[in-house]
Parts: sequence; C-alpha cells; structure tokens
Amino acid sequence: MAEVILRRLVKNFDVVPAVDEVSLQIPDGEFLVLLGPSGCGKSTILRLIAGLEDVTSGEILIDGNLINFVDPTRRNLAMVFQNYALYPHMTVYKNVAFPLETAKMSRNEIKNAVNRAAEMLEITDFLERLPEQLSGGQRQRVALARAIVRQPKVFLMDEPLSNLDAKLRLQTRIELMSLHERLGITTIYVTHDQVEAMTMGNRIAVLHDGRLQQVGTPTEVYDSPANKFVATFMGAPPMNLIDGTLEQSELDWVFSREGYRLIVDCKKMSIREDVLAFSKGPVSLGVRPEDMRLVSTKSGGLPGIVRFLEPIGSDLFVTVDVGTHSLQVRLPPKTPVSMGEHIRMEFDLSKTHIFNRSEENLQVIRSGAE
Amino acid sequence: MSTANKRKSGESSTHQKYHSGLARHLFANRARAFFAYLILLFFVVFAVGPVFYLVSPALRDSVSLFEYPPQWIPDEPTLDNFRFLFNKTRYLSWAFNTVIFAAGTTIISLFTNVLAGYAFARLQFPGRNILFFVVLATLMVPVAAVLAPTYLLVRELGEIPIIGRPFFGLDTYLGLILPCTVSPLGVFMMRQFISTLPVGLYEAARLDGASEWRILFKIVLPLIKPALVVLGIFVFMITWANFLWPLVAASGDDYRVLTVGIASLKGQFVTHWGVLAAASLMTLIPVTIVFLFFQKWFVQASMAGALKQ
Repeated sequence: MAEVILRRLVKNFDVVPAVDEVSLQIPDGEFLVLLGPSGCGKSTILRLIAGLEDVTSGEILIDGNLINFVDPTRRNLAMVFQNYALYPHMTVYKNVAFPLETAKMSRNEIKNAVNRAAEMLEITDFLERLPEQLSGGQRQRVALARAIVRQPKVFLMDEPLSNLDAKLRLQTRIELMSLHERLGITTIYVTHDQVEAMTMGNRIAVLHDGRLQQVGTPTEVYDSPANKFVATFMGAPPMNLIDGTLEQSELDWVFSREGYRLIVDCKKMSIREDVLAFSKGPVSLGVRPEDMRLVSTKSGGLPGIVRFLEPIGSDLFVTVDVGTHSLQVRLPPKTPVSMGEHIRMEFDLSKTHIFNRSEENLQVIRSGAE
Repeated sequence: MSTANKRKSGESSTHQKYHSGLARHLFANRARAFFAYLILLFFVVFAVGPVFYLVSPALRDSVSLFEYPPQWIPDEPTLDNFRFLFNKTRYLSWAFNTVIFAAGTTIISLFTNVLAGYAFARLQFPGRNILFFVVLATLMVPVAAVLAPTYLLVRELGEIPIIGRPFFGLDTYLGLILPCTVSPLGVFMMRQFISTLPVGLYEAARLDGASEWRILFKIVLPLIKPALVVLGIFVFMITWANFLWPLVAASGDDYRVLTVGIASLKGQFVTHWGVLAAASLMTLIPVTIVFLFFQKWFVQASMAGALKQ
C-alpha cells in the first residue's frame, strides 16, 4: 500500500528520449492505467518504477521516499510480465513460494501464504504442476499469485492480458478488478488496449512519444480529450476530425468549410471566448461517431456521401466521405441509408470539440494566453 | 461395362498405382539409407580403426609385433603387457593423478566459466564488451606460446611462502590444475547459453528480491544444466588427454599423469610397443565411459540450443 509519485521523469536510450518529463501522482490504492500505442514509453515507465532501468533524470517516490537508487530487490514491488516469466523448472508451488523463500520466511509461513494466494486465484489444484503443463490463463493466474503472495507495496502489470484469447481476457479482466478491490494495493497497469483502460482504471494516463498527454478518469479522457492524439486514440472507431477554418462573422464565431458552416456556441461547447479568439484560423472539428445523426433537411448539416455500411447487429456503422475526409458514423441498427446516398449530418454540440493548430482541445484550455 | 464395374476397375487401378508408388517410395528410402550408411561406415573405419589397431599389439609380445606378414589377430594372446604395466611401472599412480587433474580441472573450470559467462551475459558494467572481446581474442593465442610464461609464473608463485609449496607450484596438484581452469571457449559457451534464457526470468527474480547469487544458483544453473554437462565433458576429455602442460608442470614422478607417463615408456633405444599399446588402451576406457554415460545430455543440449535460437 503506497503512494507513487513521478517527478519530471526522463529516460533516454542513447540520445532518444523514451520517457520525456513525465510527472504523475498515484494515490494509495489507485488503479492507474498507462495507455498508449506501442513505443510510447509506457512499459519503460513501469520498468523505471520497478528499477529494471536506470532513470536518466527526475525522481520516483514511493510513500515519500526517493527510490531512484534503491536496488529493485529492495523496492518491494511486484511485477506481472507480459509473458508471465514463470520459472520453467519449478512447480507452481515453488514459483509462488520463490519470493517468500528469498525473504527467508519460515516453511510454515510460506506454506500458508502460498495456499492463501492459490485459493484466491483458484490454482490450488495444480500447485504441483510445471508451468509448461498449464494453459495460458492458468499461467497468468500463477504469475498473479506470485505477485500478490508477499503483499507488495505496489503492483506493476505490463500488458498481462495480451497473450490471452478474447474470452479469457474478459474473464481475467474482471478477476483482476475484483482482486484490486479486495487487496486495495496501488496498481499501475500498462496496456495499449483502450477498452481495458476504460473498464479497469480509476484513472488513465495517456502517453504518446514518451510524453504524458492527459491524465483523468476514463470518462474525462473519453469525453474531453486534451488533444487530437487522445481524441483519436480513445474510442473504437475513433473520433472523427473535420478540417476547416475558425473565423468571426459579425457577432458569432463560425467553423466553416466548403459547403458547411457551424456557429460555435461557446456555452454549449464549454469553450471560453478568449480561447476562441486566440485560435482563429485553421482548426479541426472533432465528433465521436455516436454523437452524429442524420438529418433529412435539404440544407444545413454537413453534407457527405455514404461509402460503406457495416451492420454489426447492435449498431450500424456508416463510412461517409466528406471531401477528402472519411468519417465514421454510428447509427441505430435499422436506419434507412444506402450506399452512394447523399446525406446530411448534425452533431450534438455539447459533445463536439475544436482542436487548434497545435492540436489542443479548446475545451480543455483554460486561459486564452495558452 | 456397367458404371459400377467401371468404378470398380478404376478403384483397383488406383489401388495398384498406390501400391506400386508405395513400393517405389520404400525402395528409394532404403537406397538412400544404404548410401548414407556406406558413407558413415567410411568415417567409422577412420575413427575407430586406430583404436582397434591398439587392441592387437596390446595382446601380443613385442617380438611377434614385427612379424611379416602382419597379424591382426594374435595366435597366442597374452596379458604380459598389462602385467608389466601394473608391476614394473607406476601406471596406477599416473592414473590416480590423471583423475585428480581431470576432475579437479572440470569442477573448478565449470565454476569459473559459469561465473564469467553469467557476468558477460547478464551484468552491466563498464567495458563489458571490450573485456569479452579480449577474452575471445585469447582463443587465437596458441597454447605453446603461453606455455613458457605460465610455467615461469607457476614456478615463481610456488616459491612464495604460505601460498606456494606444498600447495602450489611446480609438481603440485593445484599448480597442475589452476592454469587449466579458465578457457575462453568455456566462458563463451556459458555466456551464449545464459543469454538464451529469457531476460524476463532474470528480471522477475530480481523483483522477487533475489540476489545475483540466488538467481545464479536457483534460476540460471538449473536451466542450463545440459550446457554444464556438455562443458564438463569437454573439459574432462581435453584435460584427460592434455600432454603439454603436465609434461612441463609435473615432470617429477609423483605428479606425473597418464599421457606423460605413457610417453616416458618410450625408451631411447628400445620401445615396448606392446606395453605402450596396452597403456593407451586402458587410458581410453574411462573417458569413453564418461562420454557414453552423458551422451544423451550431449544431444539434448545441442537440441535445446537449436530450438532456442
């Protein structure tokens, strides 16, 4: 149980920064998900916290203690690896007992602790088997048991579900969440799967190119993405971006592009007016597929041509060509549209975002000077 | 012909085709195997021939050795040569020394090579790659070139009180063994094997709180057991047959090993070829047994290496 603080953490491989000035505060008992595409530095952050890599600059604090130079063997953290890293020559029991034996606990204590962990993860039946005799899901549970058995301060999980099939992944996800609920151990979980991030994390930290893009609850990150990257990374299909120009006409601020004008309602879109004024010029309008709807009017709305229809039962995904853009629209399953049809779309303004030239979401910017 | 009949004849003809195809296939297989064995046989004759050639003279007296035409199978086999070895020479003492020399070298060199290999494979320290290159480079230095310096080193160290004689120096077991205990090839082999182990295992063990020693003994060693056996056999066999170093380092009779001992049987004017053959034959037996005993590990290790690539 511990609070983890990262202060301006930097890790360079040769001269290339893998982690670039990342600061994060992870309160005791939180389940934080580090999310990002591969190569974004999320695993590196985890390995820095674990002590498997040396920090280039910055500080890592656990419970207020600087641990930059503490040997990984003494950090009292447990890590679950992507490939489980079970010791192949030891039985499941020996694997789980290994950290306790290292800590020189008595035979009885070890036995009790291993049995407790084994019960919790339902691996009691194959304690005497070797890892190679287990299925992927079982191995995963053994790895978890080895991690929880000595009650570490912090859990580090590096894409622990990525080697499981879809069904097992869902099941293990739920097990992991209930495990976290029961044990209340601070957990830092690395994944590139945004569904995992949305469902598991108390908070999500989105990373890109070694930089922290946004930290927030899953809803915050999904509903108010800080920038274009977060907007398009979160959500499947991702947020639609439509290029255009922001300009002032008479009293209103207007987003316009060929054949389309949208009056920007600062209140509804919760954007400050001074921020708008600073963002004059080329911008992108961002709308999630589920926040778009078709309108039957002959004028008004964004015009487009239906290119593909993808009915998936619960929804109908429609690909619409708008100029050079290709937008995804999520519609109710039996919406009457056909390929090649000319349609017009409207957006839920309260869920529409504008991204400025430097790709920031105007909604998130709090002062015009930024 | 009715369609049913047609179909039947069609079936039987495919049947025949199948069978003749199978026969041809089997024949081709046999022919290929025959040629393979023929080639193998050729090499076996080369490899085993000299060993068999030792058996015959070992069982004959020296006079009958030079009969013409030469005899492969002796008319009157005799064990005189062996009796001579045991009664008139210090064969048993040489054998004992050789066992100490080979076993000691094997045990110590496994230890040193594993430690060095582990360090080169897993530990991060400045100059690691350069140092490893230097170790490998020593492979290119011929043994004869370092013979004299090593001899001088061992001799001088032997003169130092406390650490020197009777523990170390010329004509001591340690003086004989220690210079043979680190081989660049062994270090290289151990490093390669240890590097093939997944890094994740090592990292997991570190996070589980294990020290480097504990990782080495509990995780690494059990996993590279086949490699250890292979290296052990190599070192044992090479040391068993080592001639040059024992010749200079243990010239006295008390620490003489088999190779040197057997060579000393060759007199300046008269050589008992029969005795020499008998001694060589007996010397071959222990190494052969060691090899046969661990043979399956040999195959396993080479397989494991192949699969892990």
